[in-house]
Amino acid sequence: MFRQNETALIIGAGLQGCSIALFLARAGWNVTLLDKNIAGRHASSVNAGGLRTLMRDWREYPLSELAMHHWKHLDQLVGQDAAASCEVRLGVGQIAVALDEAELSWTYNRAQDMKERGLGAEELLSAKDVRQMLPGLTDKALGGLVSRGDGHANPAASTRAFREAAIAAGAQIVENCRVLGLDRAPGGGWAIETSSGAYGTGVLINCAGAWGAQIAAMAGQTLPLKVVAPSMMVTARTQPFLEPVVIGIDRPLSFKQSAVGSLVIGGGILGKPCADHDTSFTVMDRMTQGAAATLEAFPGLAHVPVLRTWTGLEGSTPDGIPFIGPGKNTSDFWNVFGFCGHGFQLAPAVGHVVSRSLVSGKVDPLLTPFSCARFNTGGAG
Amino acid sequence: MTQDNIPPYDADVIIVGCGPAGMTAAVELVQAGCSVIVLDMQPTPGGQIFRNLEANLRDSSPSGQTLLDALGPAYKAGAELIQRFRTFRGIDYRPQTTVWEVRPDGTVGWLQGINAGYVRGRQVLLAHGAMERPVPFPGWTLPGVMTAGAVQTLLKAGHLKPTGNVVLAGTGPLLLLLANQLHQLGIKPALIGRTDRFADALSGVSHLRPGGLLPLIKGLGWVARLKAAGVKSVTGLKDLAAHGHRKVEAISFTANGRQQTQACDLLIVHDGIVPSIDIPNSAGLRLQWDEANASWRPDTTFDGQTASSLPPELYAGRCVIRVTGDARRIGGADAAMAHGRLAAQSILADLGRGTGPCSKAVRSVRKSLSVRPFLDAVFPPGLSRALPENDTIVCRCEELTAGNLREKIRSGFRNMDALRGETRCGMGPCQGRSCMVTAARLLQEHTHATACPPTFRGRPPIRPIPLGAIANLSGLDPRATIRLTLEDKPEHGVEETVDVPAE
Repeated sequence: MFRQNETALIIGAGLQGCSIALFLARAGWNVTLLDKNIAGRHASSVNAGGLRTLMRDWREYPLSELAMHHWKHLDQLVGQDAAASCEVRLGVGQIAVALDEAELSWTYNRAQDMKERGLGAEELLSAKDVRQMLPGLTDKALGGLVSRGDGHANPAASTRAFREAAIAAGAQIVENCRVLGLDRAPGGGWAIETSSGAYGTGVLINCAGAWGAQIAAMAGQTLPLKVVAPSMMVTARTQPFLEPVVIGIDRPLSFKQSAVGSLVIGGGILGKPCADHDTSFTVMDRMTQGAAATLEAFPGLAHVPVLRTWTGLEGSTPDGIPFIGPGKNTSDFWNVFGFCGHGFQLAPAVGHVVSRSLVSGKVDPLLTPFSCARFNTGGAG
Repeated sequence: MTQDNIPPYDADVIIVGCGPAGMTAAVELVQAGCSVIVLDMQPTPGGQIFRNLEANLRDSSPSGQTLLDALGPAYKAGAELIQRFRTFRGIDYRPQTTVWEVRPDGTVGWLQGINAGYVRGRQVLLAHGAMERPVPFPGWTLPGVMTAGAVQTLLKAGHLKPTGNVVLAGTGPLLLLLANQLHQLGIKPALIGRTDRFADALSGVSHLRPGGLLPLIKGLGWVARLKAAGVKSVTGLKDLAAHGHRKVEAISFTANGRQQTQACDLLIVHDGIVPSIDIPNSAGLRLQWDEANASWRPDTTFDGQTASSLPPELYAGRCVIRVTGDARRIGGADAAMAHGRLAAQSILADLGRGTGPCSKAVRSVRKSLSVRPFLDAVFPPGLSRALPENDTIVCRCEELTAGNLREKIRSGFRNMDALRGETRCGMGPCQGRSCMVTAARLLQEHTHATACPPTFRGRPPIRPIPLGAIANLSGLDPRATIRLTLEDKPEHGVEETVDVPAE
């Protein structure tokens, strides 16, 4: 029903937009991507690059597993050279560390819950296991959860690889092009007014990330989105000691060691977003919590100097999972945003499943949990 | 948010930097009854120019006296100010303290050893000084290539003297001064290669004001003394390159229309000094581009008041930062002291303790800065005038060449932050202090833009801080520390939709 002349226009040329463009263009659609800055300028390129199924919300799990398959065979999507540039490292594992009883019991419940749902490759770790796998980990660690197949990739290179692959498949990318207004086109489809002229399309896909709710509003749809600025710290290079990515459970802890030895410390600490100015700011007053959580887990790192911090803009939904699907009563207007800081890993599957839905004319069942109708905030197209 | 949540002020005024400008302002302010905190990286007061002066004055050994004589009266002239600064107990002087963040509302992030935190002032005065203009040229990252300022630091604080074939290349008063100091210490430079020419000196005469006569005579004296000592010298030097395997062994350059080489163990380069903008840039202060000096400087009023360029939703209040001394306008110690006094008087007026700068202070600033147009004309940027060739390293932290940057700029990275994200230029320990100006000029070479070149967005910390110090930051703003995180941990059994409006 929404195979509108097989033309799609995607607002936002980040990783999700480029991934959808790639799959749609390969399906023979005529695809145009618009970006108000340059492709992948924001969250797509400046996230931590985690390829994680560990601790993922069960509703995202099937999508995440499909994505993992694509990351494993990335050369088939973006070509061999580009895939190599993405520095995909799967199998180093991601480990959630339990540092107190509450966190430990959470890991038990989580393992039980996922088992009952028949999902996942998460294994419980004993205190001994977790200390063995993570040199330098505090003696206080009580256990944890590991997903051995997880890993990480280079986010900027990955975004570039998907962008180039989409172009190679025939998609057109228009950069520095800001959407000013959306309207129903006479006779069906959408008319898009932009800072660099007018565009028309059969299907319109909103991949505007932190700006997603603004674009949805232009189409008359109200979707709840909080703009946030997740931030990170990077240290000087230290002796390589850690392969897996370490994440906290209740603590704002998330870190990994890069190939050159610097520690990249995240943990979801938020800076100040400034979406209207396309920028965001780190707040050191809050970074202190991430540093403290890191040292609680790895007390030996106190002397390591932090060289810099960075932050990017992201959209966060009230229930922690994204919007992926057509808008209310608008089968030709899709919303794909609000990934809450964990969309990087999902992107190849999002492109695949969104494209499959549009081509087949039926919303794929994998997308059911992400329906835009799950929040009753009104608005119709 | 209650009133109680607003953190208290730690002092009326926080001064960053304890050189001539910072010390003068501190004395002026504390005499008027203000509470003052002075944060400085060095172990003793004096700044770059009077570095280690107290200890050197106490050193009665023959070699100590020789050093003092070589460093000359301009160095010893700082003694009285340092003594006055030390006299005032009311000044909360914190040496060996690094500033890693300054906010427009007067919050200053500090690090001392393994301790770090924030202090707040009703007013902040940045007197953090200048830096030597970064000059990327072939071989500049070889061991044995140093800047004139670094050699002076080693002389003053380390009592280290260079040996072997010493070559000085570049331009500016400091280059000639250092050559004379070395000569007086018994080190005869093998060559002084100046990028400036006699013609420049002639064109400068039209800018000469009475205040410039003394420096001119001083400078001519340096040149004459070096000539009398038989130090080889060339002017109009171009195409400087340092060569060697593990360290510099020789240099090559063009002068008088022909390529020349010179054996060299230590190459001292200097291309003039420019205001340090790392703190103003990361504080989000408005900058301006000084075309004659090919450098940024903070956009300030005459008394040093800055303006924030940050969006009002970030810092809605008044910007309480002033900049003084060489951090504002290059002028040397006398100008820095004059402006430090002026800035202090303006701050006092802002704090309701005075009527603003007296006319004497204003005149003194004007007079001390009046020589600059002449010096700028005589010593224009030389080594950095032409942008580097493609194979020259621009960002030494990440080992990026001008060619690496040009390629990315051509491929569409036309924004400093996008360029940084793509190439990692400016992401190393120096946080862009050294490479940013060259990256910005390379970008403008391509875009042909003529406005003030954009900078990298500066984010705290602008200097490295140990993780342990961040974990224990003191003086946090309770309004900013509300724990805001994106949860990775999913909730169990979230099966029903949640009806929560966006904030």
